[in-house]
Amino acid sequence: MSEAAIFTEGLSKSFGAQTAVAELSLRIQTGAVYGFLGRNGAGKTTTMRILLGLLRPTKGSARVLGLDPTRETELMRILERVAFVSQRKQLYGWATPAELVHMNRPYFPRWSDEAAARLAQRLEIPMKTAFKKLSIGNQSKVALLLALAQEAEVLILDEPTAGLDPVMVDEILRTLIEDHISQGRTIFVSSHQMSEVEQICDWVGILEEGRLLLESRLEEIRQEFRLVIAAGEGLQVASSPDVVSATSDGRFRRYVVAREAERFAAELRGQGAAILEVSRLSLRELFVHLVRKEDPCTPGNAGAKAAPVSSFS
Amino acid sequence: MLLHLNPSSGVPLYLQLESQVKQAVAAGALRTGEALPSTRKLAAELRINPNTVARAYQDLEREGVTRSVPGGGTFVADGLPGLLKSEKVKRLRPHARQLAVEGRQLRLTREETLKLLEDELDKLGGQA
Repeated sequence: MSEAAIFTEGLSKSFGAQTAVAELSLRIQTGAVYGFLGRNGAGKTTTMRILLGLLRPTKGSARVLGLDPTRETELMRILERVAFVSQRKQLYGWATPAELVHMNRPYFPRWSDEAAARLAQRLEIPMKTAFKKLSIGNQSKVALLLALAQEAEVLILDEPTAGLDPVMVDEILRTLIEDHISQGRTIFVSSHQMSEVEQICDWVGILEEGRLLLESRLEEIRQEFRLVIAAGEGLQVASSPDVVSATSDGRFRRYVVAREAERFAAELRGQGAAILEVSRLSLRELFVHLVRKEDPCTPGNAGAKAAPVSSFS
Repeated sequence: MLLHLNPSSGVPLYLQLESQVKQAVAAGALRTGEALPSTRKLAAELRINPNTVARAYQDLEREGVTRSVPGGGTFVADGLPGLLKSEKVKRLRPHARQLAVEGRQLRLTREETLKLLEDELDKLGGQA
């Protein structure tokens, strides 16, 4: 269990002058369900494509199940054991889902016809209609079926539920829990649907402009992270990894602290601040506080200007 | 089992699960000896990570709310027999502290906070 299913070290990828992924170090444990969050263009898809050998990193290294996706022979073994659902569904348009199943199954040693049949039924996929004639939602479901029926050790899912209705999303969550998470398989999933991530993930990583702002167990975020709102003049907060974000608006200060919020609030009170709120955060709130551009003193947000209220550098 | 979790409330899901099971036991909705669903089944039902259910079940067993039979599932235990009064108090104190802190932060009076607690005790009904 100690071996990481996915591991990157100083992983970087540039397209010309544009940096997509910068010094990314991820460690996704075997059996983890890891939610990879970030705004559009944060570098999530690029990271996933590197893991699957679809892009070569500019710098740094990546390992999937201990194998190096930049080496041809190791990549073949990764592709046998890892299933991927891409945002862009590139499948033969003329083929029906039933034919696509037939074409895909020989490539995967652990392929399950039973799982494929069950998914087709649960997700209400029209199996006899040409792929190109299917709605976007149905195309997404076909891509999911082809990935999940591989019974792969690792699932890499790039916004798998985009465009699906809530009932279908619910069916997919059920399938992931029953057939994959319960079997101890690893899932690395990017999504903008915070509620899904909050339900099934046990780890989250938040990516912004190619850099990892935060990586934590989700229950630890719920247990420890707090939003602290204070009012006061000239408040000074010592730079600390416990303060993950700090912003100001007039006399008001808003902090996200990773632990010991009460002690932090007491420190502010000691400086004459009024503490207006110490509250828990939903993942959505945490995400917005961390990545919003006007949040100037997020420590991971290198190069941003420092807020007048704090001593972050 | 009819449970309802709120993944966005910021409260750890395993704690929500634990408190709802305890509540169901306290209110008599779950009776001594009654079986709880398997970890996997409950996880699929609630659409949450099975590790979350496993953690809640572990805590409930450690606290004597449930007992598990190896390979045979999880059952509601009969009361909290071996627990000393001092141990019960110790276990409840953090919740009392939390209530006090939050009450103060919301600027409720001492009486208003105590009233809330009494209301909740009343709702459970039965022996006091």
